[in-house]
Amino acid sequence: MAKTFRVDVVTPESVIWSGEAEMVSARTTEGDIGILADHEPTMAALATGAVKILGPEGTVTAGIHGGFLQIYRNQVTLLTDRAEIAEGDLEEARRLAAALREAAAEET
Amino acid sequence: MASAELRQIRRRIRSVESTMKITRAMELIATARIGKAQARVAASKPYTAKMTEVIRNIAAASGGLTHPLFEVRDLATVGVLVVTSDRGLAGAYNGSVIRLAEHHVVEHREAGRAVRLYVVGKKALTYFRYRRYQIEHSWLGVTDTPTYADGRGIANVLLDEYMEGRVDGVEVYTTRYVSALTQVPERYRLLPITPPEAEEEATPVGYTFEPSPEEILDRLLPRYLEGSMFGMLLEASASEHAARRRAMKAATENAEELTRILTREANQARQAEITTEISEIVGGAEALARG
Repeated sequence: MAKTFRVDVVTPESVIWSGEAEMVSARTTEGDIGILADHEPTMAALATGAVKILGPEGTVTAGIHGGFLQIYRNQVTLLTDRAEIAEGDLEEARRLAAALREAAAEET
Repeated sequence: MASAELRQIRRRIRSVESTMKITRAMELIATARIGKAQARVAASKPYTAKMTEVIRNIAAASGGLTHPLFEVRDLATVGVLVVTSDRGLAGAYNGSVIRLAEHHVVEHREAGRAVRLYVVGKKALTYFRYRRYQIEHSWLGVTDTPTYADGRGIANVLLDEYMEGRVDGVEVYTTRYVSALTQVPERYRLLPITPPEAEEEATPVGYTFEPSPEEILDRLLPRYLEGSMFGMLLEASASEHAARRRAMKAATENAEELTRILTREANQARQAEITTEISEIVGGAEALARG
């Protein structure tokens, strides 16, 4: 089994997902990023897109809109403006992310 | 046939009882809402805590922070935001925070600093307007169930005022929710942002920044303000519901006590009436017997 690390997906309203993962992929403003255990400390700005978390208990996908990603001491924190766990695959997560972006645009 | 006195007491009992029904209903509603408001406060904490941690880490990594939002300017004009509720019937909740804010506003003015006033909630609005304070901006209808968008809206206006130099600092007067029994009015310095203290054992970490640290801070700090503002609104809302429950509980208990006293008075009046009637009858019978 691959080495795991801790992941928290946090929005201003609540922690929407928290647990152990073997791999995380997300979209930053600079491009897609794939994270395995013992990744170097990183700070990145998140774009709108899907996040995939591969954990020992299966895969979780979520749509997110904006925010930050911090990798520090084998802890990955996604501080997102908006995020929602997708019920289906990556496609579903991408659709959710697009919907979140639209909701954000409507509010401002 | 009841006497006028008895009728009056009974009418008062009825009116006290109907007031009691209202206060009890409000107490129950407030009780139900405290739980929810409290849960929202707890759920919002990780975000601001993580945010603080990230800022601290950036500081440690880049060897100190420089950003316009950290710069302490000479306070020529202070922005003051007062957070109250839209509705009353919440005991001393609004009064205490308004008193604290006004005290500091007066202090600022005495020290020769100008004050620009912003208010959340109808209570602060009417209070300060009545006293002829100029109010720059007011937000109504947000404190009952604050949303993140509310927090962001307020934070953005204050940030604009600060960035454009209309104020040199922003203080927020709001109520911190300690427990269901204790809520404390407090002053919080929103702007300039006080950089979090570095952890003692923090060793500079070689972060990879995507994009640059400056750009990350540019995006991060406004979010941090929004998150803090949202957190304060949530705490104020939980405090409001807790204060209202306490006030309504006291009102219900007072009404119960009053009903007890009035019932006793009504019984006495009724007894007195019966006694008078009996003595009239007895008196009449005796007069007949004698005749």
